[in-house]
Amino acid sequence: MSIGGSNHTFTFLGLTFNAGNMISILLACLIVLALVYALSRHITMKPGKAQNILEYAVDFTNGIVGGSVSGEASKMLGLWGFSLFLFLLVANNMGLFLHIDVSGITYVKSPTSDPVVTMTLSLMTLTLAQFLGIRTLGYKKHFENYLKPFKIFIVVNLFEEFTNFLTLGLRLFGNILSGEMLLTMITGMATGGGPVMWIGMLPLELIWQGFSVFISCIQAYVFVTLSSVYISQKIEVEEV
Amino acid sequence: MGAIAAGIAMAGAAIGGAIGDGILIAKMLEGMARQPELSGQLRGNMFIGVGLVEAMPIIAFVVALLVMNK
Repeated sequence: MSIGGSNHTFTFLGLTFNAGNMISILLACLIVLALVYALSRHITMKPGKAQNILEYAVDFTNGIVGGSVSGEASKMLGLWGFSLFLFLLVANNMGLFLHIDVSGITYVKSPTSDPVVTMTLSLMTLTLAQFLGIRTLGYKKHFENYLKPFKIFIVVNLFEEFTNFLTLGLRLFGNILSGEMLLTMITGMATGGGPVMWIGMLPLELIWQGFSVFISCIQAYVFVTLSSVYISQKIEVEEV
Repeated sequence: MGAIAAGIAMAGAAIGGAIGDGILIAKMLEGMARQPELSGQLRGNMFIGVGLVEAMPIIAFVVALLVMNK
């Protein structure tokens, strides 16, 4: 869903694509690539400022992943956590600063303000968890985990999988959409009211933008933390 | 009818979100008062908790938007 502009969709080989989402995701990936590329020139043993920032970011996401996943696997998942966190940070905040509407059709917005994009990220995480679980524990043990602690709990465990998938995606979507929508409404009220409204709405818009940046960063952190927790639940052998 | 439905959904979301956040932050303040040296960790965990608790009210907000004009 999109507020303040409709979507331009086109079909290709029978699948429907949304041009706004594609352009926004590409832009977010390019920004992350440019950022990390610029910070990673001149790697030395005694780090300069740029290298320090990059090392701090990698340490931060290694800490997030290491807090839930224990041991050998956390080294494997460190880079995944770093990429996901940076992408979410840029994608969530992009819509607050950049919103391009050409004749009523939205071309650039926050990619995570579309439920399809966030559900895709959530599905990717849960598929990764299933894959790592089967690879670590083997088919039999992995599916036997659904019968623990009692056979009847298979219903609860299956329901929990589905709920995790839904809430992980919809939490991110709801937070980012509400931020963008309120910004659009405040801007709409300001442009429709004349110069007095401009001055009146300015502090409100500043406060709401600041709060939205805060919420975006928190949601990126919560998404990566919860993803690590879901993965660790699948690959850890419980000592009964 | 859509406006009434949206109003009820938002009322539920506001009450649920406020009570949930209130309990969480109260417990965090209690913990901070008992052991001030854990302040940083407690604050970090509180934000994770708030992010989780606020998921449901925000989904209710999206539902309210969907039914607002029906």
